[in-house]
Order: sequence, then C-alpha cells, then structure tokens
Amino acid sequence: MYLHPGIIRDVFVQAVYSLSDNKLRTVLSILGIAVGIAAVMAVGSVIQSAREYIFAEFQTYGLKTIWIYRDWGDDNENKVVRQGSGIDNDDFEVIQHGCCSAVQRASPVVYSQKYTVTVNNGNDFYDAPVEGVGLDYLNINNDNILVGRNFSRNDIEHRKEVALIGLKAAEELFGKNSSYLNKSFRLYKRKYTVIGVLANKKREIIAQLGIDNYDINGRVLIPYTVYQSILGSKDVHTLQAEAVSMDKTHEASKQLEDLLQRSHGGRYNYTTETMDGWINQAKTYLRNISLAGLFVASVSLLVGGMGIMNIMSTSVIERTREIGVRKAIGAQNHDILFQFLMEATYVSTIGGFIGLLLGIVAVYVVSMVSEYDLNPSWSMGFVAIVVSMLVGIVSGFYPAYRAAKLRPVDALRFE
Amino acid sequence: MIELQDVSKTYHLGEVRVPALKHVSLKVERGDFVAIMGPSGSGKSTLMNIIGCLDAADEGRYLLAGFPVSLATHSELAELRNRHIGFIFQSFNLIPRINALRNVEMPMIYAGVNPETRRKRALTALAIVGLRGREHHTAAQLSGGQQQRVAIARAIVNNPDVIIADEPTGALDSQTSQEIMQLFAQLNAGGKTIVMVTHEVDIARHARRVIQVKDGQIFNIRYQ
Ligand SMILES: Nc1ncnc2c1ncn2[C@@H]1O[C@H](COP(=O)(O)OP(=O)(O)OP(=O)(O)O)[C@@H](O)[C@H]1O
Ligand SMILES: [Mg+2]
Repeated sequence: MYLHPGIIRDVFVQAVYSLSDNKLRTVLSILGIAVGIAAVMAVGSVIQSAREYIFAEFQTYGLKTIWIYRDWGDDNENKVVRQGSGIDNDDFEVIQHGCCSAVQRASPVVYSQKYTVTVNNGNDFYDAPVEGVGLDYLNINNDNILVGRNFSRNDIEHRKEVALIGLKAAEELFGKNSSYLNKSFRLYKRKYTVIGVLANKKREIIAQLGIDNYDINGRVLIPYTVYQSILGSKDVHTLQAEAVSMDKTHEASKQLEDLLQRSHGGRYNYTTETMDGWINQAKTYLRNISLAGLFVASVSLLVGGMGIMNIMSTSVIERTREIGVRKAIGAQNHDILFQFLMEATYVSTIGGFIGLLLGIVAVYVVSMVSEYDLNPSWSMGFVAIVVSMLVGIVSGFYPAYRAAKLRPVDALRFE
Repeated sequence: MIELQDVSKTYHLGEVRVPALKHVSLKVERGDFVAIMGPSGSGKSTLMNIIGCLDAADEGRYLLAGFPVSLATHSELAELRNRHIGFIFQSFNLIPRINALRNVEMPMIYAGVNPETRRKRALTALAIVGLRGREHHTAAQLSGGQQQRVAIARAIVNNPDVIIADEPTGALDSQTSQEIMQLFAQLNAGGKTIVMVTHEVDIARHARRVIQVKDGQIFNIRYQ
C-alpha cells in the first residue's frame, strides 16, 4: 500500500474540520479517552513509586538474606519433645569454615523469649528488642554505623559487655543531640557500654502493611556470646546468612538446612525464609493492584473507544457523498481507509495527551495529600500515548473500513 | 476513445428487476462532444456511470482508450477515473470546508503529484476557468456558477482524455449555463472528449452529436 505524501496534510486538515463540526461528540470522546489514559498514567506511576519505595525498604533487610530457625511445630510430629533451638555455635563455626558454597557470610542471632527487654541508664527505662549478633550481622543487614565501630573479634570471643544501638534507642536512653559513645546502660543487671550508633532505617510501608512490626531503629545489639551467657545456653535462635547472589538464595538455604539436619542427626525441622520469597510476594501484591488499576483504565478506554467509533460512524454517514466524490476523482480504497483511521487516531491521541496531563496532575495531588513522595513515570506516559493511539486505530477501523468499501455510485447518490 | 459493445445493466430492488440499460452499443471518437438526452429514468446516468468507470456493466464490453474496463479491478478503476476521466456533476460536489485551490489539488494528491507541481497546475486550471483570485474561497463562499467552474478546474487538472458531465447546468440559470457551455466548447476545441447529459435543447446545441436514449436503449443519433 502506497500513501501519497500529500495525503497526510490533507487528512489532518480534513480531520480538524470534520471534528470541529461535531464539537460536543468530539469533546466527549476525547474525555473518555483522557480519563482512561489518566487512570493508566496515575495507577502506573503510583505502582512504580510504590515499587521503588518497597524495594528501598527491602534493601534494609539485605536482598540476599536468608533466615533459618527451628520449626517449633516439629514437637508435634510424633517426635520426642526436644529442648533447644536446633542451632548452635558449632554449626556457625562450620559455616565460617566454608561448608556451603552458596553462602557468602552468616551471623548467629540470639534473642530472648520475651523479645523486648527493659534497658535503663539509671533514670530512663526503655523496652527494647535486644539481639545477640555476630561480626557480619551489620554487613548482611545493610546497616550503617552513624558513629563508633562494629563489634570486634575480641569483643565476641571475650564476651565484652558492649553494645551497638539504634539511633532511636539512643535518643530514648540518653536524650536527643547528646553524644552517645561510651555512655552506658543496664540490661539484665549488667552494664553495657555503647560502642556504636546505627543509622535509622525506613520500614514505614512494611510496618503499615503489617508485614513486620519489629522496632528496627530501637534495637539494642550485643555480642551473641554475651547474650548466650546471660541466657545460660549455647542456643542460636536464628541463623542469618547472605547468599553469594540473588539467584543462589534457594541453593544457600538448602545447603544450610542440610548442614543443620546432618549435624543434629535429623532431630529438628527447620524453617527458612528468604528475602527473595518476600520480594516475590510483594511483586504479586503490586501486580494485583496494577491489574485492578488496569481494569479501571480499560473500562474507561473501552467507553472512549466506543465514543470514537460512534463519532467516526456518524462522520462516515454524514460524509458519504464526499467519499463518493473522492472516489470519483481517483481515491483508492486505502486512501479513504487511511483518512478515517487518521481522524480517529487524532481524536484518541489528543485524548491521550490530555489524559497524560490529568494523570500527572493526579500523581502530584496524591503526592501532596499523602505522606509519600510520588513521581509521574515517564515510561508509563509513553505507554499511555501509544495505548491511546492504538485505541483510535482499533475503534476507528470498522467505520473507516465501511467508508473504504462504499461503492462510488452508491455514495454519490446518497442524499 | 470510448467503445461500448452490447452493454446491459439491471438494478435489483429486492425481487424487482429494473433493466436500466439494454444492449447499448456506442462509439465516441477522440475529440468528440456528445450530448445525451432522454426522458427521466431512461438510463442516462446509468450510462454515464459506466462510461465514467464508476460502475460496472452486467454484460457487454467496454473499452476506454483501448483498455478493457469491463475486466478492471476496483483499484484499476480508481486509477482510470483519476487519470483518464474528469467528472462534472449537477450539484457541483465540491468537498465542503476546504478552499477552491485544495479542491482542485485533490485529484493530483491521489495521483501522487508533488506539492509544488500540484499548486502550479491547480492555479493554472483555476485561471483557465476564470477564477483567478478566488483560490482561497470555500464552496460556501462561491456562487453556483463559480462552484461549477471550480469543479471543471478539478475535472481537467489531471489532464484526462474524457470529461463526463451529468446535467452540468441543471442547477444553474440560463445565463450562467451558457457561460459554462462556452468553457466546454473551449475545452473541446483544446482536444478534450466530452460526454454530457442534458435535458435542455439550448445546452445540447453546443454538442457535435445528440444521442437520444429511451427505456435503456439508444434510439436516435443526430449530428449537428
Ligand atoms: N441504484 C439504483 N437502484 C435501483 N434502481 C436504479 C438505481 N439507479 C437507477 N435506477 C433505475 O434505473 C433506471 C435508470 O435510471 P437513471 O438514473 O440512469 O435515469 P436517468 O436517465 O439518469 O434519469 P434522470 O433524467 O431522472 O436523471 C430508473 O428506472 C431508475 O429508477
Ligand atoms: Mg440522471
């Protein structure tokens, strides 16, 4: 099919004339498309921003993280009731000596049954989640030290009563804007010296979704060996590890589980959790929101598309005689088809651009009224414009095809 | 130039068959000027549509400048109309809203002529029909006679062999009609073959031959 270059300008001029002849109908169709495209743009941008936020928060766990702990339900499976957590320091040592090829690093995590423990500095009391951890804990969790230092090998081996605390914990204990290093507080009747303060982590969305209510910025970390001596046991409650890469997380958890099964003679069952699993869950969740948004968008695009089909059908009928004249002076069927398709596409693309603007405004409005900083997604905007053009082509096709197929004699006789 | 051999055309209105042309044979030489006359419903427009390649005959052969039109595809018919035929209608049939110049350019747009040549030729055609200075008027801003002049400019701009005019003066007063006929005579003198339907003897007088049609058949050809 060959299109004469002159036709594109001609068709544009024609489209402008004929569309301005039917102003109300044209405006309604444009609006239909605009609402649909605005929905595509707004939902797409919000999802995009939400994805960025959630993944930023997932980073605070370390994307390659694996947690492995005893499945306490194993007591019920006809097994003898077992004491202990099913993980101990010897297991950790084996991992440290490179038992598991897919594991980059690991840290024991020891915590009390009560989960939070009251700490105090004499006057201020504070219920804190306390954890006993190893050297690599900060690294695995992407934690940053604001001031001070990490635990040393010496701290851990010699059970030094030192602590790393979250910024929020520091402020609770010692007040804002003071210096926290080398201050001390009491925990289980012993005195701990602050050797470092951890930067705050953002987990607002995760907390709001109720996925994890752990008070991350209020944490108090001490060497796991110290916590074990307080609790009077060599138990490690959770082993936290980092896989060598994202796609090795499952292999790594398998290796860790096998190791624990072997060293404890299969007496315990274990549960493993990976960030990878969480990420997939979040992806599903976001996909469902997208689908809901897509549904709203497709309904309004459908309405807009039907509007375009309607104005184009009317336009074809009103201009039957003109079509006859064009054919009489030499227009091929495809010239007529192209003319009406272009007209439909102009309407829908104008609707698309208006919708794009509405969508951007909507994103900024949501951004202002909500506590989240949202940004319009430009890739979504591109998709929106392409979609609006497609809607025009699809909904304009049937009327355009009918126009193209008109017999010139019949069209010329039309009153 | 035009050669119809035993051409028939029947319309079907539901169950009813309306024979509009019955075994018509006609030869029109290059440069001829033919007027077709006859009562209403006698088949004049049907004959014109077939000659103009707007409609196909049911039976018979039609050769236009040696080309077998009866065997042509839709696309070839469009091309024949574009290059070899110029149409002039009773109701002018200018494309509304666009100006005279763009109306005259239209056949060249479909012929793929480049914009500069298009414009130049359109202006020349408009000058020939005496509409210099009216290039930017739309149909609504022109009188009937002027609209028909634009239509004539549009019909001749692709330099066709044949001009087909179905009652070209049917909507015009007699003064304007005579002016339009002067233009036809001028075009014919320039070598154009013209086939024209008319009800008016005054108009038919400008033709070289008058063909009388009745009940779908030619019953008289008169030279004048
Ligand atoms: N599309 C059509 N469908 C059915 N019948 C038609 C059609 N076109 C023409 N006819 C019939 O064919 C016959 C010839 O019509 P045609 O239009 O050729 O006559 P005409 O000589 O041009 O008449 P007029 O002088 O009124 O223009 C008429 O009986 C008409 O009713
Ligand atoms: Mg007629």
